[in-house]
Amino acid sequence: MSGAEGARAANGNPRRSFFQRQLEELGARFSILEDGPLATDFGTATAEREQARQLGLCDLSSLPRIGFKGANTAAWLAGRGVALPAQPHRLARIEDGLLACRLSPGEALLLSQPWGASRLIKDVERAWSIESAGLCFPVPRRDSHAWLALVGARVPAMLTKICGIDFRPHKFADLTLAQTQVARTSAIVARADVEGTGCWHLLFDSASAAYMWQVLIDAMSEFDGRPVGCAALAPPGSAL
Amino acid sequence: MKIMPCPLNGPRNIQEFICRGEVRIPPAADASAEAWAEYLFYRENKAGIVREWWCHLPTTFWFIAERDTRTDEIIRTYTFDALDESGSGR
Amino acid sequence: MSARERLPLPFGIAIDRSRPLGYSFDGRSGSGYAGDTLASALAGDGVWLLSRSFKYHRPRGLFSLAGHDANTMVQVEDEPNVLADRLVLREGLTATPLNGTGTLTRDRARILERLHRFMPVGFYYHAFFRPAGTWPRWEKLIRAMGGLGTVNTGQKHGYYDKAYAFCDVCVIGAGPAGLSAALEAAAAGAEVIIIDDQALPGGALSFAREEVDGDADALRRSLLSQIEAQPSITLWSGAICQGWFTDHWLPVTRGDRLYKVRAAAVVIATGTIGQQVVFRNNDLPGIMLGSAAQRLMRLYGVRPGTRAVILAADEAGYGVALDLIDAGVEVAALLDLRTEVPASPLAAAVRERGVPVRPRMAVAEAVEGRNHLSAVRIAPVVGEGTLGTAGETIACDLLCLSAGGVPNAALVCHAGGSVRHDAVSGRFVVASTPPDLFVAGSVAGTESFAAAMAGGRRAGWQAARAAGFSNPHEPQVEPAMVAPAGPMPWPIFPHPKGKDFVDYDEDLTVSHVRDAVAAGFDSVELLKRYSTAGMGPSQGRITNPVLYRLLAQATGQSVEAVGSVTVRPPIGQEKIGHLAGRGFDPVRLSPIHHRHQELGATMMVAGTWLRPAVYGEGGQEASIRDEVRAVRNGVGLIDVSTLGKIEVRGPDAAAFLERIYTFAFAAQPVGRVRYALMTDEVGNVMDDGVAARLHAHHFYVTATTGGADGVYRFMQWCNAQWRLAVDIANVTAAYAAVNIAGPRARAVLARLEGDLDLAPEAFPYMAVREGMLAGMPVRALRVGFVGELGYELHVPSSCGEAIWDRLLAAGQSEGIRPFGVEAQRILRLEKGHVIIGQDTDGLSTPGEAGLGWALSKKKPFFVGKAALELRQRRAMNRVLVGFVQTSTGPQPLENHLIFAGSEVAGRVTSVAFSPSLERVIGLAYVPPALAETGTALTIKGTGGRLIAAEVSKTPFYDPENRRQEM
Repeated sequence: MSGAEGARAANGNPRRSFFQRQLEELGARFSILEDGPLATDFGTATAEREQARQLGLCDLSSLPRIGFKGANTAAWLAGRGVALPAQPHRLARIEDGLLACRLSPGEALLLSQPWGASRLIKDVERAWSIESAGLCFPVPRRDSHAWLALVGARVPAMLTKICGIDFRPHKFADLTLAQTQVARTSAIVARADVEGTGCWHLLFDSASAAYMWQVLIDAMSEFDGRPVGCAALAPPGSAL
Repeated sequence: MKIMPCPLNGPRNIQEFICRGEVRIPPAADASAEAWAEYLFYRENKAGIVREWWCHLPTTFWFIAERDTRTDEIIRTYTFDALDESGSGR
Repeated sequence: MSARERLPLPFGIAIDRSRPLGYSFDGRSGSGYAGDTLASALAGDGVWLLSRSFKYHRPRGLFSLAGHDANTMVQVEDEPNVLADRLVLREGLTATPLNGTGTLTRDRARILERLHRFMPVGFYYHAFFRPAGTWPRWEKLIRAMGGLGTVNTGQKHGYYDKAYAFCDVCVIGAGPAGLSAALEAAAAGAEVIIIDDQALPGGALSFAREEVDGDADALRRSLLSQIEAQPSITLWSGAICQGWFTDHWLPVTRGDRLYKVRAAAVVIATGTIGQQVVFRNNDLPGIMLGSAAQRLMRLYGVRPGTRAVILAADEAGYGVALDLIDAGVEVAALLDLRTEVPASPLAAAVRERGVPVRPRMAVAEAVEGRNHLSAVRIAPVVGEGTLGTAGETIACDLLCLSAGGVPNAALVCHAGGSVRHDAVSGRFVVASTPPDLFVAGSVAGTESFAAAMAGGRRAGWQAARAAGFSNPHEPQVEPAMVAPAGPMPWPIFPHPKGKDFVDYDEDLTVSHVRDAVAAGFDSVELLKRYSTAGMGPSQGRITNPVLYRLLAQATGQSVEAVGSVTVRPPIGQEKIGHLAGRGFDPVRLSPIHHRHQELGATMMVAGTWLRPAVYGEGGQEASIRDEVRAVRNGVGLIDVSTLGKIEVRGPDAAAFLERIYTFAFAAQPVGRVRYALMTDEVGNVMDDGVAARLHAHHFYVTATTGGADGVYRFMQWCNAQWRLAVDIANVTAAYAAVNIAGPRARAVLARLEGDLDLAPEAFPYMAVREGMLAGMPVRALRVGFVGELGYELHVPSSCGEAIWDRLLAAGQSEGIRPFGVEAQRILRLEKGHVIIGQDTDGLSTPGEAGLGWALSKKKPFFVGKAALELRQRRAMNRVLVGFVQTSTGPQPLENHLIFAGSEVAGRVTSVAFSPSLERVIGLAYVPPALAETGTALTIKGTGGRLIAAEVSKTPFYDPENRRQEM
């Protein structure tokens, strides 16, 4: 049992990241959240922050996120204080950093900010009941989808090796998203820049996590990309 | 590679889609054996503009594409609801 | 090889004289400069003989120096068939010639040439097939004699990869037209990628001479500096656009990468391919295109010979003459195929320099001396392709051909455009272009740099507009600039003694082509296939125009009427590595995958997933049996996370299930699980699973591992039409699932803290409960696929390892054992449960598969109902039955056939040795007449051995199903 596993046992949290082994191998330091262990850094926080400006790969799989589907989704969420963007393929920043993504007229995805759990997501999740929400149903995105943030100026160039969509900043605006195939796996790619640096959130089938990790490490190598902890994405001075 | 204009996702490489063939309306449950056989086993295979079911795989979004089988040109795409409202084909 | 001095500047703009590079070719070392190609370095070292021809082993040298011919193909270490005129020289490069027998200079197999009359066109098709069985021996010999490079089958795969690239306008060709087009498109606001196949961009500006005292290179540098200053233009040199595909999708090879470029509009500015002139011995080293001689001098500073003859039919030939003179080459004569010498400044300058200019004169024959051109015999042109009596012989070591160009329009043809022969001008011209694709420069027929640039600007403007960028200043092209040039003379002069080559790659001469036409292969596609003209590595680039003209002549048609062969990608050499490099093969893993690995599981592929087949290091058969016995006698644990999992929610959830599955669900109580069987519209079994009702408006449905994605898509497709008030969500990867099964399962589960009441009356067979277990939210389903007391536990996938760990720990004292897919298959077979896709095929109905009980008779509709009712009117012709083996000896295998007398009567679908019953059991399709319990069956086993079996009732094990309901 590795150190990290010991830490989890002590914490009593049965959840793991989908990239647990890869992160432990790289010496990640974890912060244990309700939804699982979050790699905050690899012991080189300053260098990782620098790395994130160029090309960083950051596991956010243990941050809260949830989807909702059905014709009543936008209306029900609005009633819970989550105003979805009017158009599909757009994101909105809501209070406490929550990213509200509209995947289609009747489908939403709520993501925490990349450096800490969104309380609102948990509140919305708890507020839902099948009796009260009408045609609006939760989708367990915490577990159906792995979540990696690709951050830095070289992300669009790296993505040309694995995806047929043009993600260059002037072609794929901040707070837009695409549902497409990345390395032949269905994925959601949502751009939400952090601290003026381009950041593309990649959400995909959690069972394909090991496959996608290996694909990304390979695609990043020619651009000197490396995994970074989520502290590298946080605003300076923010508490994780 | 061809581009398919998806009503939900916009223009995408056609490898993100699958085609399920002609849009066909099934007969009533109690229709004749001949009507069912016609529906189940015969296809028009028309040289001209056909209406086909297509699915965008990453979103499992189903829609209809009008395509000219002589030129492989996609003329327009829309959802099943739009087909119904336009009154065409039903 | 002795290094010779290179020509001084302004010759040699591509090379860096301060960086010499050593290389070796054919075992001898030489030296060149950075910027050289292997071919130019060899020429610089005085090496002109590069290869031996395919059939006759004739000496061949460089011809186009642009990668258009295949004469320069060499082997570079483990890489076969590399074009030396595209191969950028590097230090230590080691290359060897192809297709030699003995040394390159003294090829023993050249004797084959004397046997040429025994090798008529199509001789492969006639000569080596009788008597029967002869071909394999000949094939070996022919391949050894005529093969190209050598493939090292043991070579490791290099890192080849692929990338997408995006632009508004893609310009192919970086000559004056292409560069101008790019600048104009960028000025309109478009993003541009320029693709050029040469190492040095500039096209003809880098080597051609259209003025006596012009400085084309200054113009080239000026255009390139404008390109460089324009950030929205990307220029790729040494890159080949291999084809045009629908919606401007362009595969481009560049180094070891294949780019998939998507453009909104395309400009083709690919120039021309120098036209072949046919006469006797027209393939000798020393005979090259005038543009090749100019490239040697202008790009590499290499003098192409010492005494030259020029065979011209256009203005460019005069520029070649001037360049040669400037480079210190003696020009012995300029023969012009045309009737009159033009009154141009270039022609005047050539005459001024004392070169004899001879109109209406051609080369009748080239003379060989030591593997190289030594002289030409000339003759007057007296008619189309006919010469008068051959006259004087002119000694020379260089013959430059400058008989016009053919549009390099393959990409235009890929895109649906066309090239035709214009009878008036005697030229091939681009006749049509598809939408949003524009041609400019010499591919479009312009002859001067100024016209190319004007045409390029206009094409760039048009392409930008097609891509959505408008610029009010529309560039115009003055009509005078693009006035058609004078007629181009016929360039084919057959010789009575042959060796007048039409195709260098395949060693085909004029008589070969004529004989093929005479043999009846008189349509262009047939002629190509029979004669193999244009089918070699240079793909007809040089051959086809000659072929069309010869066919027209032989059949008495116009060249235009003959048509042309279909031009297909790739344009240039495309490596297998480009196509095969770094593909993507997604593999899906259960959240518990690493635990299986740690337990030494043998993994097997299941659809896109990996699943544990069996655990443990020991013998697999024994391990499988032990796993089966553990489940039957104690408790086992299997990972079933790969099951498809679908949420069906909404007021119409039950109505939706009623329609999509064959069974009845409307009255299913909340908290209960039902078997769910799906048929397609034709009534064939499609998939199965269970449906757990969690709420009046909520069903949680499972699907097979391989079927899940298709089932989900099918459900969405159906509801796109039905529009029931229901939402369908595929949550397969969201849940890890394990099945804990065996008589001790309840005892193990009871050890974990949680709020599930496990008492049999509180949580009976085929019930579903939600709650907490060991701190994890869980959906627990009591189902009995393996026929024992069992709980299928679904937890969030991030908890997968935790539930696995907690159950194994809790079950330690009960001897809990993980079991794999192999054991599960036996356990379910003992229960007679079918596996969809194994015990059913694409035509199985529920009735045939013994699943008729799962069809609701009362529902007005479900998918497949109408078809099934119609099919049920006919007698069934097969039915799935259980059987036990009654003979001793080897057991049957899946798909072994069942015989009734000499007739095939059926097929085994599943078979295994049952550890619980200690005999071989299975499932098989048999005709209804053989389906009665106790009927003897004959199975034809491996090697034709007959195996006796007997129809048996299922379940084989625990027929009353008591164990699963404990």
